[in-house]
Amino acid sequence: MSHYFFEARKKELPTVQPKIARRIGAGRNIMKTFAAAMLAGAALSFALVSQAAAEGKIIGVSWSNFQEERWKTDEAAMKEAIEAAGDSYISADAQSSASKQLTDVEALITQGANALIILAQDASAIGPAVEKAVNEGIPVIAYDRLIENENAFYLTFDNKEVGRMQAREVYKVQPEGNYAFIKGSSADPNADFLFSGQMEVLKEAIDSGKIKNVGEAYTDGWLPANAQRNMEQILTTNNNEVDAVVASNDGTAGGVVAALQAQGLAGSVPVSGQDGDHAALNRVALGTQTVSVWKDARDLGKNAAEIASQLADGTAMDEIPDVVQFETPGGLTMNSVFLTPVPITKDNLDVVIDAGWVSKDVVCQGVESGSVAACD
Amino acid sequence: MRFAATVLSCLLLASSAAAQEPALPRFVDETGPSGLDATFAGEWEFMVGGGVAVFDCNDDGFQDMLVAGGQERASFFRNGSRPGGRLSFERAEGGLELNMVSGAWPLDIDSDGHVDVALLRVGENVLMRGLGGCRFERANEAWGFDGGDDWSTAFAATWEKGAGWPTIAIGNYVDRAKEAFPWGNCSDNRLHRPESGERRFAPPSALKPSYCTLSMLFTDWNRSGTPSLRVSNDREYYKGGQEQLWRVEPGRKPVLYTAEEGWKPLKIWGMGIAGHDVTGDGYPDYFLTSMADNKLQTLTQGGDEPAPDYKDIAFASGVTAHRPYTGSEVKPSTAWHAEFQDVNNDGRADLFVAKGNVWEMPDFAQHDPNNLLLQKADGTFVEAGDRAGVASMRTGRGGALADLNLDGLVDLVVVNRNQPAELWRNASQGAGGWISLRLSGDGDNRDATGAWIEVRTGDHVQRREVTVGGGHAGGQIGWIHFGLGTAAEAELRVLWPHGEAGPWQRVSANAFYDLKRDHEPEPWTPAP
Repeated sequence: MSHYFFEARKKELPTVQPKIARRIGAGRNIMKTFAAAMLAGAALSFALVSQAAAEGKIIGVSWSNFQEERWKTDEAAMKEAIEAAGDSYISADAQSSASKQLTDVEALITQGANALIILAQDASAIGPAVEKAVNEGIPVIAYDRLIENENAFYLTFDNKEVGRMQAREVYKVQPEGNYAFIKGSSADPNADFLFSGQMEVLKEAIDSGKIKNVGEAYTDGWLPANAQRNMEQILTTNNNEVDAVVASNDGTAGGVVAALQAQGLAGSVPVSGQDGDHAALNRVALGTQTVSVWKDARDLGKNAAEIASQLADGTAMDEIPDVVQFETPGGLTMNSVFLTPVPITKDNLDVVIDAGWVSKDVVCQGVESGSVAACD
Repeated sequence: MRFAATVLSCLLLASSAAAQEPALPRFVDETGPSGLDATFAGEWEFMVGGGVAVFDCNDDGFQDMLVAGGQERASFFRNGSRPGGRLSFERAEGGLELNMVSGAWPLDIDSDGHVDVALLRVGENVLMRGLGGCRFERANEAWGFDGGDDWSTAFAATWEKGAGWPTIAIGNYVDRAKEAFPWGNCSDNRLHRPESGERRFAPPSALKPSYCTLSMLFTDWNRSGTPSLRVSNDREYYKGGQEQLWRVEPGRKPVLYTAEEGWKPLKIWGMGIAGHDVTGDGYPDYFLTSMADNKLQTLTQGGDEPAPDYKDIAFASGVTAHRPYTGSEVKPSTAWHAEFQDVNNDGRADLFVAKGNVWEMPDFAQHDPNNLLLQKADGTFVEAGDRAGVASMRTGRGGALADLNLDGLVDLVVVNRNQPAELWRNASQGAGGWISLRLSGDGDNRDATGAWIEVRTGDHVQRREVTVGGGHAGGQIGWIHFGLGTAAEAELRVLWPHGEAGPWQRVSANAFYDLKRDHEPEPWTPAP
């Protein structure tokens, strides 16, 4: 039946269908390819038809690897906002291949996308696709991951603010003493944005001598094991006299807590993190981690959709609400919107549970009753 | 017997050609029964490396092997297989079994007819002189070789025009004293050229800038007769780096090819280089391993004097091999050793890629199967690693495809990090015909490094460049294998290093030949 439908639609859209069929099929087995192509064809037909009726715009979204669970949340929020604006959603999944993503973006352009949202698999390889879109007058939003191109719009959470929140929450608990800093990978520019936010908050206390920086280390590959090794070294150097640890994400926080645990210090030394990792939220409930800064994927998806719709309607990039001029690590200036994340401590764990981000069972595993409100 | 097999394979090939699907090879895991028991082990300094060197050190025609051991001693095995039999290896002591070895490459440095082995190490690199009978001795002092004290990970060698002694390039990775801050701290790569007029090396020169190299290959990319040095670099640790191509001309300082000349900046997590003329344009194409997408680079424009301007045809050719194709993981892959060999003898080179996570990197697949990509008649490739039996989920690093039991089928060894190496016998039924060739030049550069071999069957010409280097952390020397498909005979010629073309010569399929300059191909048969 779908085959018949596909054929019927194909007559109306002779130039679009075959291209999609071929592209989506690349690299897969033939039967699967055929089925996928038919589905895609059918879906696109619907999309174009409804778009024609609503006279809305087409928002094309290029995912780096849609099979990773986390992007499903982003997509749901995106779709909802796109459809609410009377526009239609089309998408492609690069399946972790930077070169497939180049052809995906071309296919989205061919399918008539009026604006593109791109989650880059490899920011250093996506350039040609972005240039092609820009040359055709199609606005591009670099979604969550920076694409260094002055003609693109950058949307992400405010990494510097993440760093500030991490430092603030640790500082609230431990306003003086010996601080250690477990940074991210130096190969990732975000590591330095986070650290600069942390230092902004603590600068005054460091300058006055209330807080002493007793060790800071980058974490190769953001690996928990490397964070643990760095933390062990800092503890050894300081005879375990470390009063607080500002760790840049939940993975590294996990390594830090393991190092503290080995010295019997876990729970007495505040530790920060970010990402709302399930294990980290459990540590927050257990009291071994102080904060996990959470970036709500629904916010990111919704904002991307709204900005894409505005750009597709012809709003200039520098007229998007809350736009700021961002100086990139590569020295470019880009129109950007930075969303504000939420610091999750044991006082507001209900936020992530109510959002459906994580179940109460997971957060509260092993938590003593009466110790955390969200777990009771 | 052999004739019957040929007829059978002709029939099978004919039927599979009709279906446009390459004949499926079958690999049998013989690691345990073979006696190969080797593990590449270690911490940070051995997250890369883990190569295998394949060579014949006792002149019986069977390939012996050395497996890097990382912080443990390297493992040396003598090949005890019989022709067409099960694979059999016996652990031996030959002097090569040093610790801290990351990679190893065989080559005959002093052209005495005994293969020598370059041991790349975390610490001093060591050149081991072959004495015959699978015995080796240290030759750094005798050959004036400065082994350095770096984290060495890549190796390539060439005989520059007019030189009787090789030029060796050593690729170095991160400055190992900078574990706390590796980024931007890449050690210099080194070029060891001959001391003028002497049979020894001059003090090395630094190849600046260096960008944390993991593979190097001397290759005649433009068929000028003078190989250049291709260098693949790990973007995780360099700052401002890219892939590199050094022009290395006799008597001159090496110079990098520039953007003005056509070289396009490319930043990958470069781990391995495999060269092969896949497109059939007469120029080598380069498969570069990385994380997520791998690259297959071909010249943008050929012609008489091509510019070093490459485009990536990996996606169109079906060889991005960017994430696991079997198993449950959806995160991208990490690729290391890559090698082109014809595993089903259909006359088209196939591509093997060893896979494995660097070190529990959370954004990449933990269970990452090796790839065996079979080339189809239209020049694209289809994945067959799982169906052929080599989709191991161990953390692969180095490897080699070589005919280890001299039955005309290419077998496979893969070195894994912190897990035992694996060995597969190619037990394909109905594969095509083949020839296996051993070059020997006169005097120096006996193995004719830098030569090209052309094999013609009907109007189909296969070309292979004879190189020392590339891959990940290891290489092989000895038999050079060609599949012939259904052809009962083939014509071949050798373009000897630096340009001289030998005559076309006719040989029968399914045999080994020694090719000596100015001689007829000489059939060779293994002792039963």
